[in-house]
Amino acid sequence: MLSCRGVGRTYQTDRGPVDAVRRIDLEAPDGRFVAVIGRSGSGKSTLMAMIGGLIRPTIGSILIDGVDIWALDDNAMARFRNRRIGYVFQFASLLPTLRAIDNVALPALLDRRHAAAEAYDRAAQLLADVELGTHLDAYPSEMSAGEQRRAVIARALINDPILLLADEPTSDLDEQTEREIMALFLSVNRERGTTLMLVTHNLALASEAEQVVQIADGAIVP
Amino acid sequence: MASPSVPRWLLGSLALQNLGRRKARTSLLVLAVAISGAIAFAGVVMMRSIEASITVGFSRLGADLMVVAQDALANITAALLVVEPTDQTLDANLLAQARIAGIGRAASQRIFRSEQSGFGGHAESVDLIGFDPERDFTIQPWISERLNRPMQPGDAILGAARDLPLGSEIALYGRPFRVYAKLGRTGVGTHERGVFMATSSLLALAPGIRERTGQTPPMLEPDKVSGFLIELAPGATELQARFALLSHLSGIKAVSAGSLLTGIRQGLTALLGGVLALVSMMFASTAVMVSVLFSAIVAERRNEIGLLKAIGARRAQIVGLLLIEAIGVTSAGGAIGVALGALLLRLFEHSLVYYLTQMGIPFLWLDRTNMVFIAAACVFGAALIGAVGALAPAWRVSRQDAYDLIRGEG
Ligand SMILES: Nc1ncnc2c1ncn2[C@@H]1O[C@H](COP(=O)(O)OP(=O)(O)O)[C@@H](O)[C@H]1O
Ligand SMILES: [Mg+2]
Repeated sequence: MLSCRGVGRTYQTDRGPVDAVRRIDLEAPDGRFVAVIGRSGSGKSTLMAMIGGLIRPTIGSILIDGVDIWALDDNAMARFRNRRIGYVFQFASLLPTLRAIDNVALPALLDRRHAAAEAYDRAAQLLADVELGTHLDAYPSEMSAGEQRRAVIARALINDPILLLADEPTSDLDEQTEREIMALFLSVNRERGTTLMLVTHNLALASEAEQVVQIADGAIVP
Repeated sequence: MASPSVPRWLLGSLALQNLGRRKARTSLLVLAVAISGAIAFAGVVMMRSIEASITVGFSRLGADLMVVAQDALANITAALLVVEPTDQTLDANLLAQARIAGIGRAASQRIFRSEQSGFGGHAESVDLIGFDPERDFTIQPWISERLNRPMQPGDAILGAARDLPLGSEIALYGRPFRVYAKLGRTGVGTHERGVFMATSSLLALAPGIRERTGQTPPMLEPDKVSGFLIELAPGATELQARFALLSHLSGIKAVSAGSLLTGIRQGLTALLGGVLALVSMMFASTAVMVSVLFSAIVAERRNEIGLLKAIGARRAQIVGLLLIEAIGVTSAGGAIGVALGALLLRLFEHSLVYYLTQMGIPFLWLDRTNMVFIAAACVFGAALIGAVGALAPAWRVSRQDAYDLIRGEG
């Protein structure tokens, strides 16, 4: 269960404070596919980042699986992000000096619960699942944008998160690749039961979601 | 599916790969640290060597004055320790009779240099030094190891350069001697390769020497000596003692090294102070430079650090990653610096040290253990510079929200 309670974020800028997200309340049960839509600048990314533990809300709280994540201390928060949340960014986010397999295994290696060999086996399996089984040793620069995005999805799944967040994950891809990536997200959501929260401008895709959250000017449009 | 190869230190190698991405900057950083490291290593080793030499040469119970026959050659520094080999002799009871004011202790020495002792290499020139164990104050203080019993007739003490175990037997002119003790390194040639023994033992060699050379060397006559080493009485000045000696005795030369060595010592002390100041300045400026460079490195990598945070890297892991990187660069620089410093010391050895030794000023390199220790300290210091320089930027960046880092703000 994901719940946002009066979550808001105000950025301090040179031109004064900007209320990017204004006291949003939101609930999503486990396993749900939530689509987030809204115009550019409406506050979608800020909301996603707060839920993903990447930026601290200025007000309100976020509960994931009953844990008030922003009440956790630094280390507990890092562990929570590592184990429970998968995040797919809008832009290329693989570490360029690491092979695909290292990139995918990295979150599992950061958390020393598992042996490295186990992490690598799992990473190889996940890369095969996203049809990159032949690219284990490829560096990001040797992969297409779509392949890189698939590797990022594999990385997001390595620690079996309960929540998969994707912020416009296909905005820089061609239509065909976008369809493939979206299909991948949907299969993850359906087959693994991972809660999927996805920001998209693709209304056709959004219509497939069980829950659509439309944001305008930092607030949910009822 | 083939099992993928598992790298051992992924985070560590991540740090090192980052260095590889910016080769020019990394090399610059390594070079800067290497130069400081070289100067620090060479400077400190040189300083400690000189310091040790001074301690050894000046405070280890040397003599203040030496009295030799007028025509004898005198090696100034060796004079503080041992009389130079010469055929010119003095009467053995010269000083005892004269009762000269200002003289505290006086010890006679006989030195005989010969190629035919049968000791050492074939026809090697060996100095045989006879001294009075009861009165001696310049030789025995140098003993570094000895048998566990008092010295006896027939015992020999070897200079540091002689490589024979304690207790072994050597033969001089066919007579057996027991190696009773060995001297520490003095930097004085006569001491390094000499064979020291009680006067009575040396005199007992006279018949054997006469057999081989057809004559008895003058200093082996019972009533002759090569010279006297003198320690001033408390409160007496060198000038007074010299004056007293020269006015009471004729046909002698009173050699002192005091003023010359004092000058050298003062010069060296100033030099050492300069070296020390230079080393600490280099250290400080390198630390500042590393810190500035690492602030830039961290700023440039905010995006990557943000990503690491986003996938669950803990603050300690991020700080650790940046520190490994910094310490990797600076300790590599430190190690290269030590190598360069060693090269620099080689140069010193061929110039300065050679010059000093030519002047008869003993120079002792610091022993190996201490040198290795200083080398390790230099590498450690370099690593410390890296750690200290990178800590603040690493700490600051690790505190920021991942989203701010990724967006490049904050
Ligand atoms: N780090 C920031 N500092 C200042 N203003 C920001 C920052 N991030 C976002 N904003 C502002 O907050 C608002 C919402 O931005 P964002 O969350 O990125 O919206 P979206 O993802 O819907 O385009 C925008 O007006 C944007 O300019
Ligand atoms: Mg956005």
